[in-house]
Amino acid sequence: MSDIGKVRLRLPSSIKAGDVVRVRCLVIHPMERIERDKAGKIIDKKYQYIDKVTVTYLGKTIASFDTTQSVSENPFFAFTFKATDPGKLAVTFHDTLGETYEGTADIKFG
Amino acid sequence: MAQPRGMTRRAMLGTLGAVGVAAAAGVTLAPRAAGAQALGQNEPVDAALKRVFGGKAMKDGSRIIKLDIPLIAENGAVVPVSVEVNAPMTPQSYVKHIYVVADKNRIPIVTRAVLTPDSGQAYMGANIRLGETGDVRAIVEQSDGTLLQVKREVKVTVGGCGG
Repeated sequence: MSDIGKVRLRLPSSIKAGDVVRVRCLVIHPMERIERDKAGKIIDKKYQYIDKVTVTYLGKTIASFDTTQSVSENPFFAFTFKATDPGKLAVTFHDTLGETYEGTADIKFG
Repeated sequence: MAQPRGMTRRAMLGTLGAVGVAAAAGVTLAPRAAGAQALGQNEPVDAALKRVFGGKAMKDGSRIIKLDIPLIAENGAVVPVSVEVNAPMTPQSYVKHIYVVADKNRIPIVTRAVLTPDSGQAYMGANIRLGETGDVRAIVEQSDGTLLQVKREVKVTVGGCGG
């Protein structure tokens, strides 16, 4: 599982100022499911799954997701933002073990 | 068994005990804990909706909410879902939250998107798990507190929520 935490961001190839841009992002992560023993009781342990995703653009949080274990493995998220100025778009994933994974994209107008 | 670094077995047992006590306290001191608790809990969908929305009435949102999800999901482990809301995103009135709820999942609240007017459009997409055939709802909370929901039944051939 050495790939854990690889983040991929996909944006349209050309962006114009003022566009509302759809971004798709994906992170490689196991999103562990609740395990049960033979009697059907939940095994009590710290499960590793992503519980928070934040999207920042130009240093400002524009959207976030609170997620649970009902989200699939290698979670994928899509969101929009309004491209007003060139700058950095960052998507940060936080998991329950305190790890964070970040993917960034430079927004340029061309 | 993997132990946390620099922790003896005894210390670890002690910590686990403390966590247990904290969890028990959290149950009795419910109101404050509600915000701090994880969104996803093992509970029936009615309880989850009551906990998150406090039993507030929901209006039918089929006029403005577009919930895009396959009618038949062959593999419940990965089901793409997207929600688009046809509503203005201005600082005066915008879509604050989009919830995705899967009624039959053991953890019914799947995800909550927190949006701001800077998002430009009320849209979200995600890949979710579905344990079995059942309704999937999208619940939209607008900045003035109005709740709107739409739901759609999804047939699941192979469930994806082992837990």
